[in-house]
Amino acid sequence: MWPFKVNVGAKRQKALTMTDAPVMQAFLSSPVADKKTDWREMDIVAVDLETTGLDPQTDQILSIGLVEIKQGSIHLNSAWHKVVNVGSDIPESTAIIHHITDDVIAEGESLAEILPELLKRLSGKVMLVHYAYVEQEFINSACLKMYNAPFVIQTIDTLPIAQRRLERRNHTIQPGNLRLFNLRRYYNLPDYKAHNALYDALATAELFMAMTTEIAPSGKQKLGDYLN
Amino acid sequence: MEIELLEIRNFLAECMPFSLLSDEQLDLLPEQFQVRYLRRNSAFPPADNKDKFLYIVRSGAIEIRDNEDNLVNRLAEQDHFSDCEHFEQDEQRGFAIEDTLLYQLPCKNVRQLRDQSDDFDRHFSDTLSKRLKDAVRRFRKTVDTGMAHMAVEVSNLVKKKPLCLPADTSIQQVAQAMSEKDASSIMLLENEELVGILTDRDIRRKCVANAMDVNSPASTIMTANPFTIEHNSLALNALIEMTKRHVHHLPVTQNGRVIGMLSATDLAQHSSSNPAFIISDIRTAQNIDELVSASRKIPDLQVQLITASVSALHIGDIVSRITDAITTRLIEMAMEQNGPAPVDFVWVAGGSQARREQTSHSDQDNALIISDEMQPEHDSWFEKLAAFVTDGLNACGFVYCPGNAMASNPEWRQPLKKWKQYFNNWINKPEPKALMLSSIFFDLRSVYGSTTLLQELQNETLEQSRKASIFLAYMAANALTHKPPLGFFRRFVLINDGEHNEAFDIKHRGIVPITDIARQLALSEGIPATNTTERLLAVGRTKALSDEMSENLLDALAFIAELRICHQARQIRRGLATDNYLSPNKLSELDRKHLKDAFGVIQEMQNILEHRYQTGRLG
Repeated sequence: MWPFKVNVGAKRQKALTMTDAPVMQAFLSSPVADKKTDWREMDIVAVDLETTGLDPQTDQILSIGLVEIKQGSIHLNSAWHKVVNVGSDIPESTAIIHHITDDVIAEGESLAEILPELLKRLSGKVMLVHYAYVEQEFINSACLKMYNAPFVIQTIDTLPIAQRRLERRNHTIQPGNLRLFNLRRYYNLPDYKAHNALYDALATAELFMAMTTEIAPSGKQKLGDYLN
Repeated sequence: MEIELLEIRNFLAECMPFSLLSDEQLDLLPEQFQVRYLRRNSAFPPADNKDKFLYIVRSGAIEIRDNEDNLVNRLAEQDHFSDCEHFEQDEQRGFAIEDTLLYQLPCKNVRQLRDQSDDFDRHFSDTLSKRLKDAVRRFRKTVDTGMAHMAVEVSNLVKKKPLCLPADTSIQQVAQAMSEKDASSIMLLENEELVGILTDRDIRRKCVANAMDVNSPASTIMTANPFTIEHNSLALNALIEMTKRHVHHLPVTQNGRVIGMLSATDLAQHSSSNPAFIISDIRTAQNIDELVSASRKIPDLQVQLITASVSALHIGDIVSRITDAITTRLIEMAMEQNGPAPVDFVWVAGGSQARREQTSHSDQDNALIISDEMQPEHDSWFEKLAAFVTDGLNACGFVYCPGNAMASNPEWRQPLKKWKQYFNNWINKPEPKALMLSSIFFDLRSVYGSTTLLQELQNETLEQSRKASIFLAYMAANALTHKPPLGFFRRFVLINDGEHNEAFDIKHRGIVPITDIARQLALSEGIPATNTTERLLAVGRTKALSDEMSENLLDALAFIAELRICHQARQIRRGLATDNYLSPNKLSELDRKHLKDAFGVIQEMQNILEHRYQTGRLG
């Protein structure tokens, strides 16, 4: 599904030749983790985006939230949340979902200001998302527009992990089964009332920690087993 | 400023000890935390945590056990566990009993917060005994000024039918009228209008001291145009006026007409919230019906005393004194009917009345110790006495003892020598079951009659009991039968065996264990006191109980008794029957915390007794 799945290192080498932007160069030349490492020894960054729609070519990123897992614990001091000033009106249909209104947007920063900070925070780290398509493709699209190079990163996606778990148990997957909210219930995780990129990133990080305790209750947990 | 993790901040703001922080401190709190997930059955604290933390359960549940695998506590949502202060960190370990999301705060951050916030620091630094003392004191503060009993209208306090005479009546005639009516004051009228008042003091100071002619008209020494108070004024205002004007009597008016006289004594009797009234009604009661109607006021009295911020232990004392008065009056009535006693006797109270720890409508425990001069034919007199008194107490709301520990039971209506035998058997040939039943009789107090009979019995008993190691071991085992709960888990009470219930019996799981401990210790030291507080104070001066433990037990008792009596006062106010069942749902977070401290004290003392007497070996 993802062109980067086979060899992130090689893809990054190629991407490096396409950009002059120091920010992008620094990101692409950061070390790639050995798949045999235990994920708990790695820094993992849970990321969530709110967007105006699902098409990375026409839709826009509205906000970005992230939080880091270090040594198997989520460190809340790494919590980071940015609203993007997209410079245009927000369709009511999406504003209802994520409560990002024009007023909030007006206080935001431009994606050009935010993207370098995001890349810095992801440098040398593994990205954790629920349903990787949105985050991967929207950030990729932004990087291509601004730095002429694709966004190449090692990614853990909690959605296919959950899907495999259900399939292994011969569950017929019902619509909604794989939604973050419903998966969290299964692991006795609390509901967050707020629906923004930061809480969704936090929710994804907690879900991932819960899933790993179920998949491998003890012993080594190889990063490669979870990578996309 | 936007607080990014507002939801987590608000969650933490609801959790002890973080609820003690200021808003500004709370705003900066979430980012200091880390989040962990523990799968059911995995170790707590998490095995791979190298540092030490304070933990808060966000969702799920954790069970804590000591190194002998005894259940110590269960933590649920919002509960915290700190590894920062434990010196022997290996002592308490646990595991997740549900899939659990944990928030953890590094101990160095806990230390910083302690430096920044006094309240937060106190949560960790206060000793158990300080926390318990504060808890007891807090009860007194919450009942505002303690003047609630003054918020009653004066019309409720004035005695009807004021004593009035024309102002030109002679001083002597006025004095005669006052003596006849047993009044300390009189109102003097002119054309049916109040023109002055005259008091005992006026007659003494203005007339007798000055050798004035007693045939002079009363108007010459009266206080003319006295200050009056309207019938619907508050008692508090009456008190203020009396104090301001240095007077002890205020005529009470209604629509300009005098309806009575309010004296300082009336106010004083009311402000001591009427136990004196009730007792005086009891003393003058002519029949059972009058006694019953006097005793009906006890539940209200109990509520009034609580409102007037009288402590639970004092209320126990007051209610017991009222029961004593009722008992005494009943005995007097019986003797009026049946003639004088054929031989000396003493009516003794047992159980809570003996300990002066009754609440309204405790059941009755009593016995008769009769002089050894008693002949078989005398028993019918005592039988009639016992039946009359126990029936009377029952009618007054002190219901029959379910275990039949009453003087109406021939077993407990015996001459002194028989009682000595009983105690001799209990002490020297102890049987656990018999002892449990007879523990009522190790708390005895004379209510009426020849107190020397009881004294003689107690002197002998105490001399024997302190040396009877097997007996003391059984009494210790008895003091371990009622265990306090471990604490609270969600909306439940957590019991030793891991069971949980929605409510718990605060009498049997809080008060009875302390009472039993105090009895055992008093008997082991030959201390004659029966009141639990007095016993603990006295034992605290011996080697059997450390000063600190004595104080902690006293504070624990005071706190638990307070919670119980407030619970019962709420029921009385709502017109419900009183019970001892407290639901943790209804307790504040702080009360739950203090109650857990109090349970901890009891538990510790029970452990001490268990080790001291090796009660486990008694079988």
